[in-house]
Amino acid sequence: MITRIFTLLIIVAVIGAILYGRRLIKTEKNDAVFGNPERAKGGTHWVIVGSCFLMFSWLYYSWDIAKSLYPDSANELCQVAKVNESLLSLKYLFPIEERQHKSTAIIKRENINIKKYIVEIQNSPDLENQDKEIFISLLNKTQLMIPTLTEEKYLETDIKHVINGLTNRIKQLTVSFPKDSYPPALSEEEENKRIEALKKQKGWGATGMEVPPLPETKTGLKFHKAAEELNSISDEFFEIRNHNTEYLRHSQEIFAEIKEYKNGLDDDQELEKTYIKEIKKLVRRIDYASIFPPNALDEMEESIRDFDVVQKEEQGAIRIKDVLLFPGGTIVNSGPTCAEDGPGRWLPKPSDTFRIFGELLRPSVGFKMIPMIWYEMMDVSKIVGFFLPDWIADILPGKYPVHNSAGKVEPNFKSKVLDIVTGEFKAFKIPVPTGHIWDSFLRVFLGLSLGIIFGIPLGIFMGLNRFAKGFFDPLVELYRPVPPLAWAPLIITVFGIDNVGKVFLLFMVSFSIMIISARAGASGTQLSKIHAAHSLGASRWQILRHVIFPNSLPEILTGIRVAVGMCWGTLVAAEFLAGTTGIGFVENVARKYMQYEVIWITIFVMGMLGLLFDITLRKIINKTIPWHGKG
Amino acid sequence: MKKIISVILGAFIALNFSLSVVNAAAKEVRIAFFLEWATPNQEDKVKKAFDKAFGIPVKWTNFATGGEMTEAMLSGDIDISYSQGLTPFVNAVNAKAPIILVDIAVLYGMGGTTCVVSNSSRITKANASDLEGRKVAVPLGTMADYVFKETMRVVGADPSKMKVIDMNPEDGSAALVNGDVDMACLFGGTSIKKAEEAGKKMLTVKEAKDAGIAGIDITSVTNKFLRENPGMVRTFVEVTHEANARFNSGRSNMSVIAKDAAMDLAGTKNQMGGFEFPDADTMRSKYMNRGGILMNYLSVMGNMFATSENPALNDYSQVVTTRFLP
Repeated sequence: MITRIFTLLIIVAVIGAILYGRRLIKTEKNDAVFGNPERAKGGTHWVIVGSCFLMFSWLYYSWDIAKSLYPDSANELCQVAKVNESLLSLKYLFPIEERQHKSTAIIKRENINIKKYIVEIQNSPDLENQDKEIFISLLNKTQLMIPTLTEEKYLETDIKHVINGLTNRIKQLTVSFPKDSYPPALSEEEENKRIEALKKQKGWGATGMEVPPLPETKTGLKFHKAAEELNSISDEFFEIRNHNTEYLRHSQEIFAEIKEYKNGLDDDQELEKTYIKEIKKLVRRIDYASIFPPNALDEMEESIRDFDVVQKEEQGAIRIKDVLLFPGGTIVNSGPTCAEDGPGRWLPKPSDTFRIFGELLRPSVGFKMIPMIWYEMMDVSKIVGFFLPDWIADILPGKYPVHNSAGKVEPNFKSKVLDIVTGEFKAFKIPVPTGHIWDSFLRVFLGLSLGIIFGIPLGIFMGLNRFAKGFFDPLVELYRPVPPLAWAPLIITVFGIDNVGKVFLLFMVSFSIMIISARAGASGTQLSKIHAAHSLGASRWQILRHVIFPNSLPEILTGIRVAVGMCWGTLVAAEFLAGTTGIGFVENVARKYMQYEVIWITIFVMGMLGLLFDITLRKIINKTIPWHGKG
Repeated sequence: MKKIISVILGAFIALNFSLSVVNAAAKEVRIAFFLEWATPNQEDKVKKAFDKAFGIPVKWTNFATGGEMTEAMLSGDIDISYSQGLTPFVNAVNAKAPIILVDIAVLYGMGGTTCVVSNSSRITKANASDLEGRKVAVPLGTMADYVFKETMRVVGADPSKMKVIDMNPEDGSAALVNGDVDMACLFGGTSIKKAEEAGKKMLTVKEAKDAGIAGIDITSVTNKFLRENPGMVRTFVEVTHEANARFNSGRSNMSVIAKDAAMDLAGTKNQMGGFEFPDADTMRSKYMNRGGILMNYLSVMGNMFATSENPALNDYSQVVTTRFLP
């Protein structure tokens, strides 16, 4: 229902925006010529159209529109898929969806293979002439065996009879299929059982049910029954082999010869053994294939074609729904289950995605027992303990208390200080964020901050000082061009799989970018401004603080924006490699259990967080360097 | 304006069609396999016996995990996955992927897939519950994941209280050696060997066997390929069984196998010593029949890895067929 309303809203919004756009053109002054940047200004209505277009594509290609408009359609398509699946093997024999008869293709392929073998054997330097002759005669005999399969007159009446029987069953099905009386009514007991089973069946897209397989509608039942019949026909057909007496005479002779030759071989005649085995395989392949005389199956082919036409007609509205509302794929059937194939499989429906996202966001559920983003109460003492170094207690005069004879430990001043610096005391609690999203965010934030703190001063130093430039240049230039992920295995080995390794990796990424941008900014300062500051009597520090730094700010801030993007990219991959938390970890685990909804959610969350970073930075840029980009 | 609309419509129609294009008649058979996982039919692979038996060329692609094999099968890039672990297969069929189990590839004890505890953690079978709260490297969704859960059940530790880190075997063994994790569950000869430099197996091969923990690797085929080329599926299973028979009678060329598996000869022999390749009759009568060993494993594992979105199937016999066994 929500999907339907939403789709409607999208359509209304698009039409509204387009109409508004047309009106806007009329009211606008027309003097903006092509190439005038004025023409690209404004256009919020096009943003609406663009977003709506994205949303609509998502709804449409994930088949959510189909689901909301026709909740039954997947179930009906599943029954149709059952028929298609049961026809698949039969159809594959004939040039219905292929170019050739299967028999033709096999004969063609095996003739080529036989020729290849003959050439190979003739040219083989390691085979004795006598062996060569035997092999070639065997291959020639095999080639001669094929006509016994394709010759009309050898086809036995028994087999003809069976084929005709099967053909008649298909024909009968074709006749009865469109009738209202098909499928024949079940006995009351069976019908009740069927209805009972249907009641238990969940709907399309319900938790744990991709596509409900049991037929729910009258048309569905029809297809379901026909598929059962066709499956049994298909199974019976593939039991048939055109092994007539003439063929058997040939093949038995060949097999006997092969056996005789094999028995005559010594243990060390590996090459001969290989060849004779391969020839045997070739004969067996022809033996197993369903090769029939060229026209023997004509009637069957015709009946299958007829049935195909009828069943397609019977699909009626289902077919139109399939084409229009299930773009890029359809429902497929495999054994007892039906599944979405195509974008329906890997592009989850927006409704499902948001439902699962909602579940994941619930702190008690989360992903792998860890919430996506939530808070936990943490004692302030932990923070104090983290920041105060432990050696403060060590350097105090005196000794740590020793237990006394009463078996008690009396704390003294030194041990009390130790308790404080290690955070072993009780204070008030404050909420701190936790969860997958927070962990990823924190890693990026820390890596980026460290990169900024160390990178900018070094970059400016390198831009101003010959020694610094010369000394650090080789180091920076050697590691900078390496894709950050190339460092990942090494860093994980050195710094471990915890946060330290990941933060260090991100630090490496942002560090080099910050150096380059700060350096470019510093060395790009206009000399006239520095001269002016000098002549006004500015000190070195003042020039650095008031001339060079503001001048390099645009470069630095652009650098930070680039670094944020790079950090995200690297982080997710690093969390793929080894992780217990983080969005990359969630995505990687979801991938292993084929939870496509979760994969899309992680992609969405990463996009949103990246956008958040970028918007924040844009705000900072506008605030700190308002002159940037304005001449 | 009209131009824009026509371009959008054109792109839309093109996308609709391009997504549904399927490849018709098989021009080559595309098979997935593992490195570091020596199997007898690799000799046939090297000697191109499969190509000759199929009558068309074979394209072999190696994968790191069975889950990736499934992904490739779903996208239509792989027809047959050889030696896919039972766990990824179960995950795939729970997610309603149209793939069918046609053969058991390898039966193996804990020699091929195992959990190794680091020496520095001083944890053994006796105090295994100390692992709770510690870090453990497990390649999730693989046979090693199953072995991890089963091993913890046997030694009486609660896996949900451990910090499970998802790591591929190579990374897991490195993390164990570095001391980043206290236990690593792994598969693959080289990785286990490396991990054992810094630790010991939680359960010996015999203990695991007594506890009923066993690994099963299987051969899975996409439903489409099976429907269209039943003869080729049969040929693949047949050639593989011939290779297995050759190995069982000690006539396999081990150095060829070792080279193809990217392992040394001793390691290969050691690994394959722990492998079992049952013949077709045993499979039919003991493993793949109703109530057989494989079927039990499937339902146990299916429930173990079921999620609310992808619940276990009621009956796994629908995704198993013995039709292609020689």
